[in-house]
Amino acid sequence: MRRDADIWDELQTLFHLAEATPELDRERVLAENCSDPELLRRVMTIFRAAHVEVEVEQTQPWSGSILSNRIGPYTIIRHLGTGGLGSVYLVERMVGGVVQRSALKVLAPHAAGPAFIERFHREQHILASLEHPNITRMRDAGLGDDGQPYLVMEFVDGIHLDTYCDDRVLGIPERLEIFSQVCDAVAYAHRNLVVHLDLKPSNILVTADGMVKLLDFGTSKLIQPDSLLTTTITATPAYASPEQLRNDPVTTACDIYSLGAVLFELLSGRRPNDKASIAIMIERAMKEQEPESLQLAVTEEAAANRGLTASRLRTVLGGDLATIVAKCLSPRPGDRYPSLDALAGDIQRFMDGRPVLVRPQTRFYRIGKFVRRNRKAVIVGVLVNVAIVATLGYAAWRQQQAIREGQRALRMQTFMYRLFKLANSNYTGKPAVTVPEFLELGVKILPDYIKDPADLREAQLSLAESMFENGDMKNAQKVFSDVIASAKTAGDVGAEAEAEAFSGNIAYQQGPMDLGEKLTAHALELSKKPGVSPAVRAWSAIYYAWNRENNGFHSDENLRLLEFAVKESRDYHLPPHETAEALDNLGAGYDMHGRTAEAEAAYTQALEVYGQDPSALCDQSEIYGDLAFIKDKRGQLPESLQLYQRAYDGYKTCSGAESRGALIEQDYLAGALIKLGRAKEAIPILEASLPAWRRVAGSSPDLGDPFYFLVQGYLATGRYQDAEKTAKVLVDLQTGKVAPTDRRFGIAHLFWARALAGQNRYEDALPHAEIADKLLQVDANPGPNKLGVEAHQLLLDIKSRLASQ
Amino acid sequence: MAGPGEITVLLREWGDGKPGATDHLFELVYPQLRSIAGALFRGERPENLLQPTSVVNELFLKLVRQRNLRFEDREHFYSLSARIMRRVLVDHARSERRQKRDGGVSIPLDEGLAWVDAKQAEMIDLDRVLAELEELDQRKCRMVELRFFMGFTVEETAELLSISKASVDRDLRFVRGWLYDRLHTA
Repeated sequence: MRRDADIWDELQTLFHLAEATPELDRERVLAENCSDPELLRRVMTIFRAAHVEVEVEQTQPWSGSILSNRIGPYTIIRHLGTGGLGSVYLVERMVGGVVQRSALKVLAPHAAGPAFIERFHREQHILASLEHPNITRMRDAGLGDDGQPYLVMEFVDGIHLDTYCDDRVLGIPERLEIFSQVCDAVAYAHRNLVVHLDLKPSNILVTADGMVKLLDFGTSKLIQPDSLLTTTITATPAYASPEQLRNDPVTTACDIYSLGAVLFELLSGRRPNDKASIAIMIERAMKEQEPESLQLAVTEEAAANRGLTASRLRTVLGGDLATIVAKCLSPRPGDRYPSLDALAGDIQRFMDGRPVLVRPQTRFYRIGKFVRRNRKAVIVGVLVNVAIVATLGYAAWRQQQAIREGQRALRMQTFMYRLFKLANSNYTGKPAVTVPEFLELGVKILPDYIKDPADLREAQLSLAESMFENGDMKNAQKVFSDVIASAKTAGDVGAEAEAEAFSGNIAYQQGPMDLGEKLTAHALELSKKPGVSPAVRAWSAIYYAWNRENNGFHSDENLRLLEFAVKESRDYHLPPHETAEALDNLGAGYDMHGRTAEAEAAYTQALEVYGQDPSALCDQSEIYGDLAFIKDKRGQLPESLQLYQRAYDGYKTCSGAESRGALIEQDYLAGALIKLGRAKEAIPILEASLPAWRRVAGSSPDLGDPFYFLVQGYLATGRYQDAEKTAKVLVDLQTGKVAPTDRRFGIAHLFWARALAGQNRYEDALPHAEIADKLLQVDANPGPNKLGVEAHQLLLDIKSRLASQ
Repeated sequence: MAGPGEITVLLREWGDGKPGATDHLFELVYPQLRSIAGALFRGERPENLLQPTSVVNELFLKLVRQRNLRFEDREHFYSLSARIMRRVLVDHARSERRQKRDGGVSIPLDEGLAWVDAKQAEMIDLDRVLAELEELDQRKCRMVELRFFMGFTVEETAELLSISKASVDRDLRFVRGWLYDRLHTA
């Protein structure tokens, strides 16, 4: 037999040939290439050996001395797992006549030894001192019959943090919410001078109702204020801080690093450096290498687990979150967050949309965030900035964006969308900036600056939605159509659904109405597919519901869709303004269906969600107005008066005293005054508002609003001639602009008839009373038709007067 | 006991190919590691028992304690580390065999251990077979040591040896078959 040394090269050549040949031909091909049968046999032996499956030996859970099913007073139900210290069992015990379940941790025999016992006691000591809802509580400790120490802890029926989030396809905000709970628990431990030192997803359980429970303070060390402790490496290397890997002194900064690693994984789907061996991790720790990029860790699968596309997830992770994570993962403890409170604070600020402290405060960034928070105050500044950007050239902007890479799209969206939304909100009849032109320009130049098709669609959507809000339906529709076509081709369901929802809304307003329904229905359908953001899901439902509702399909199904939108925005922790808008819509839906108590509740919740957000002042004011109207209808006039006042004041601040919102609230406020018998106060308010109303409404039927209240004021104060004139204005305003059968005509004629009857001109009043009676008997609104009754009563009155004359 | 500075100097000399540097390094580093490994396996620091990489960690810490040690010649450094690891484990297995009854405890190394299915009892045989391999093909022996005594990933091994991942995979498949055959038939 030839020695391997003599045939080494041949062996390899034939081995690789065998690998490259299909099984059926293998022996034949090898034989053709080798005439030595002994060598052939040897190659085949090695080949087979190379493909032997070796089973990885599993460590058996230790059950050694636990022969009985009892430890101390506890009955073992089942083995839960084996960890660094020993085995954990689910046990139960009768406590006060009730069966109490606990987790019992018992020291493994191989763990017996002074160091272990000491550590065991340490854990006992540490656990006993910690009492926090997110930290597993210790219940008992003792020695088993054979002297084995055990710890008894609250049994947590939960799953590992990462599994919990992925199973539920939680989005980034919800993940951050859960992570905040973890921070809370660890911060508490730190305040009690305890560091955990082995924070990792498998040590963080989440219960079915979303409650975080921190396990295993077994590795923790009590911090001694004046001495730094060193530790041998016991933590899981992937989450261990560089100083732990270097065997340097440990501090609370270790936990901050580990939490950074946990957050990295929670956001991106994998651990930092997950492909590195321990050796390389240690090398990195020694060399103090900077952490890898959060965005680059994103995979399609991870994105799907977060309900996003990979490019979207990268975008989301590009800004403040990347900065926050990198700050935690700094190789030098001193460069990390100084405390967990600082980390938690930045996460909260991110979730609130406020500037994150850690981020370097660049000019561009400040503008973005500031705009989001204070839409009124910076409007002028923003417009000036736009002018600068436009004239000095987009090159600088582009360069800045290139530097920001992935942040680009998000910044672009935030910046642009906010800018236009702001411009719109202050664009109440004052052509201060030619927003439509600017939007059109934006659409035109967009492809020059955003190359990624998905990013481009996102930016186009932002612009088109601004056009939509600005009332430029024609151009908006064009852009939405482009987005729909491009999204269809690319299979970008999220963008397609979003564009169709808006497009459908436009079609509803501009016709053809059936197309509107078709599009919103399709958007709703699409929005149920994976990969669609919860916000789009919520809005698709809202648009579809209103489309149906406004088309005369008043069904509870519409309400259910509005309820669904609210649930989505809550479940997925959409930004407050989205949730509040969904609640606002739900309130309006309930109101439409006559369910005023629920409407009131929804409005109130919407206000709570908006909180003190100054940028939402206009939205809040509108809701105050809606609430006031509900009280108004119920006859709770003093309350409604207060609420109208609040709505008016709000609008006055957010968009000016002469804005449409302020004028509307002012009218209703005057209306409530009239009902309270204070018409004399109401009339001058209404009269004074007319010039501003004319500017806002032109000659549209909307201008009827102040006249509607004014005529009531005149009627209430016996100024019947003024009332007659005003009623005529009201009718003229609407003639040819609203359907002849519209209720508004009925109301105007009712007032006209009353004004004439007040002057004892019953004959003149009769035709108006008849029109009013005819038109007002039809009432699509739920609840008693008071005006219908009033009109009929007036008609009967006038007739009897005429008969008695 | 050798100071870290001395180790650094020796490591540089070893990297430069100075004759005898390897043995000197071994002498310097080995006793400490040996005692760490022994303590680990005896359960004196049992919290590390379930931590398969402790020996690797300790090795690093001893060798690279000094920040100024540069990783300029990473291949040399890691190859040496891998060889020391091998020595530590084999020696430990030898002493176990003298003292112990069953020899059933797996050596707490990387999951790569399953690759050659080496129980502690087989470690001595593995060492012998690896010595054969080293005679035949030194480079492949380095590869095995890096991958299975240092726990390097295939990618890292490839990078360190400046070859493609595909060729590491390819070579290791062959070597695995060869080793397995030598272990189980010889």
